[in-house]
Amino acid sequence: MIEIRWHSRAGQGAVTGAKGLGDVVSRTGKEVQAFALYGSAKRGAAMNAYNRIDDKPIINHETGMEPDYVLVIDPALAFTDNITANDKPTTKYIITTNLTKDELISQIPALQDKKDRVFVVDAIQISLDTIGRSMPNTPMLGALMKVSGMYDLDFFLESMKRVLAKFPQKIIDANMAAMTRAYNEVK
Amino acid sequence: MAEKMELNEIEVWDGNYAASQALRQAQVDVVAAYPITPSTPIVESYGAYVANGYVDGEFVMVESEHAAMSGCVGAAAAGGRVATATSSQGFMLMIEVLYQASGMRLPIVLTVVNRAVASPLNVRGDHGDMYAGRDSGWVQIDAFNAQEAYDLTLCAFKIGEDMDVRLPVMVHQDGFVTSHTAQNVKPLQDDVAYNFIGKYQPYEEMLDFTKAVTYGAQTEEDWHYEHKAKQHKALMDSRDVIDRVFAEYKELTGREYNRVEKYFMDDAEVAIVALGSAVETARYAAEELRKEGIKAGVVAPRCFRPFAFDGIREALENVKAVSTLDRSCPMGAMGTLFNEVSAALYTTEKRPLVSNYIYGLGGRDFSVAEAKRIFKEQKAHADAGHLTTPIQQFSGLRGPKLGFFETKRGN
Amino acid sequence: MSRGVLATEKRGMRELGAEEHVGWDEVTQGTLLPSFEKDVDAAHVRPEERPYSDFNSYTATVASWRVIKPVYNRDICIDCQNCWVWCPDTSIVSRDKQMLGIDYDHCKGCGVCVEVCPTNPKSLLMFGESEETEAALAKWPEKKKKAK
Repeated sequence: MIEIRWHSRAGQGAVTGAKGLGDVVSRTGKEVQAFALYGSAKRGAAMNAYNRIDDKPIINHETGMEPDYVLVIDPALAFTDNITANDKPTTKYIITTNLTKDELISQIPALQDKKDRVFVVDAIQISLDTIGRSMPNTPMLGALMKVSGMYDLDFFLESMKRVLAKFPQKIIDANMAAMTRAYNEVK
Repeated sequence: MAEKMELNEIEVWDGNYAASQALRQAQVDVVAAYPITPSTPIVESYGAYVANGYVDGEFVMVESEHAAMSGCVGAAAAGGRVATATSSQGFMLMIEVLYQASGMRLPIVLTVVNRAVASPLNVRGDHGDMYAGRDSGWVQIDAFNAQEAYDLTLCAFKIGEDMDVRLPVMVHQDGFVTSHTAQNVKPLQDDVAYNFIGKYQPYEEMLDFTKAVTYGAQTEEDWHYEHKAKQHKALMDSRDVIDRVFAEYKELTGREYNRVEKYFMDDAEVAIVALGSAVETARYAAEELRKEGIKAGVVAPRCFRPFAFDGIREALENVKAVSTLDRSCPMGAMGTLFNEVSAALYTTEKRPLVSNYIYGLGGRDFSVAEAKRIFKEQKAHADAGHLTTPIQQFSGLRGPKLGFFETKRGN
Repeated sequence: MSRGVLATEKRGMRELGAEEHVGWDEVTQGTLLPSFEKDVDAAHVRPEERPYSDFNSYTATVASWRVIKPVYNRDICIDCQNCWVWCPDTSIVSRDKQMLGIDYDHCKGCGVCVEVCPTNPKSLLMFGESEETEAALAKWPEKKKKAK
């Protein structure tokens, strides 16, 4: 079982990202779960989305988890959210920021002893450059592929094309570029 | 003719979308709806199917849930296949008309995404609305995940429309935990699903002008009682049709449903009885506890109505202790599952120890660890030979321990 | 970070949702939320002087929800009150029909105030959350000529 927790703001696409990831994973014969905790909060409010991935049907419906990956797609949430909640000695962090890894870690006490498990990518800037607006969810998935080694990039991009099929070609191409850049730039 | 939709063998759908796809494949003629969180996406999706030509049907926007169910009653009496969706406050506003629908024996399908009932206002899931429907004369089927929300919505049409039943059917799923959680779902292709349900067979439809009928007659003490008794018998007798439809569905898909679902019950010493998504979480906990040598099992009424008095009795008569989990605050009484399970078990030889937990109100998370703790507590009851706690307790509640009533047995 | 005009020690003192989670024995009867800590003739006491309780949204902040913020330019404003009327979060502070500025503890950065501002150039514009007010004012656009 792989468990993933997204830290996001309502409107940044964490739910779409979690469902997109679930869609890709389901096509490789695995079972997935994608859900979010947002309730009646408004656009802009901090929220969490979650994924579970397993080889057998997932019947655990509790919302709490000890994540294997923590994906932070809003830069400020790395400072204000409890991103290390319920973590394990192996939990890996991928954080959206325009800071270098060292700069970021030096400002967040909770990450000091997890240096080798923290990865940074500027998913906001990447999405602005490629998609034309702040939509850090798909680039974060590109970064996750690199860090986790879950699937190779080409396979993942092909699968995401099918997930994004309802969008115009221009938007699909922009998302492909965003994921590729994040895959290459995550450190 | 409606357009066909090509579906993948495995889709990643949440419970709402799964239910909406079942409504589409059933080619529902009329959906009269007043959308409410968390069931909104069901009727929203149906509206999109109509607009995009995937259903030859009518989406009727109304001014309240009372009007929504009234529209459904009218359309069903006119002779159409009819469905809608609601939750919580919307369900409460529908209740008056729910009794009209069942009393007129109209096979409407209502997909209910269970949500807490105000006050305090809350959009998250518990079973307050589902429990409020239990005397309304509807078949109430409960789905524990998105796949089941899809499967059971298809089955609901076939059950309700059966000429031996002709009763409305609710298909319940948990708000957010099921309705907004995307999981692997294996859908049927459109033709297969439609052929399973079959073409709608009208019965005494008002639009057949050659055979004029009156719906909604008034009766007083001279007629009312006989009509209600006949309706009650029809709901009791629907058990056979439900079993048959579930068997046919298994034949078609390999997926098995039973009016009482049993997990690890062959040799279980302690058990949890629950409804909704908590059933699966409890199963997960039972599986883990079995590795520790605790013979834990889970029993779940797939049909809340008609209630399987006999099925529950058979499932639980050999356990030593059972905890009934109610996700609706009973307000001044024991929980409904406790009462109904206890009544069934009172008629057995061994009469297992039965206790009651209220849990998960307003969407409070139900964890694997908590399910394990409850199982272990049942083990302590079983070992002691009597209840070691108050009969009714509260799971996951902040504040001093709250409990009501002691047993007079065994202490 | 500026908290805007008429800020007090109490205003926005807690992050929304960070309240202490008490037990069933301590929650209020009927889910009632007392607005004030003590009796007050609220109709005759200025908003920033009222004894707000911890249940009042005055004491909560949602500033962290914002990614862009409105900046107010007093020099152009005509005190028409349009922004005050339209703000969905009562975050435009006005006194005696004179616009004072913005309550950044409660503004969520929706931009409605900018949309409804009728002046040319606008008296309210959206800037990045980290932009300093002085820098924002220095970048203010010139009056647009009417297209003929």
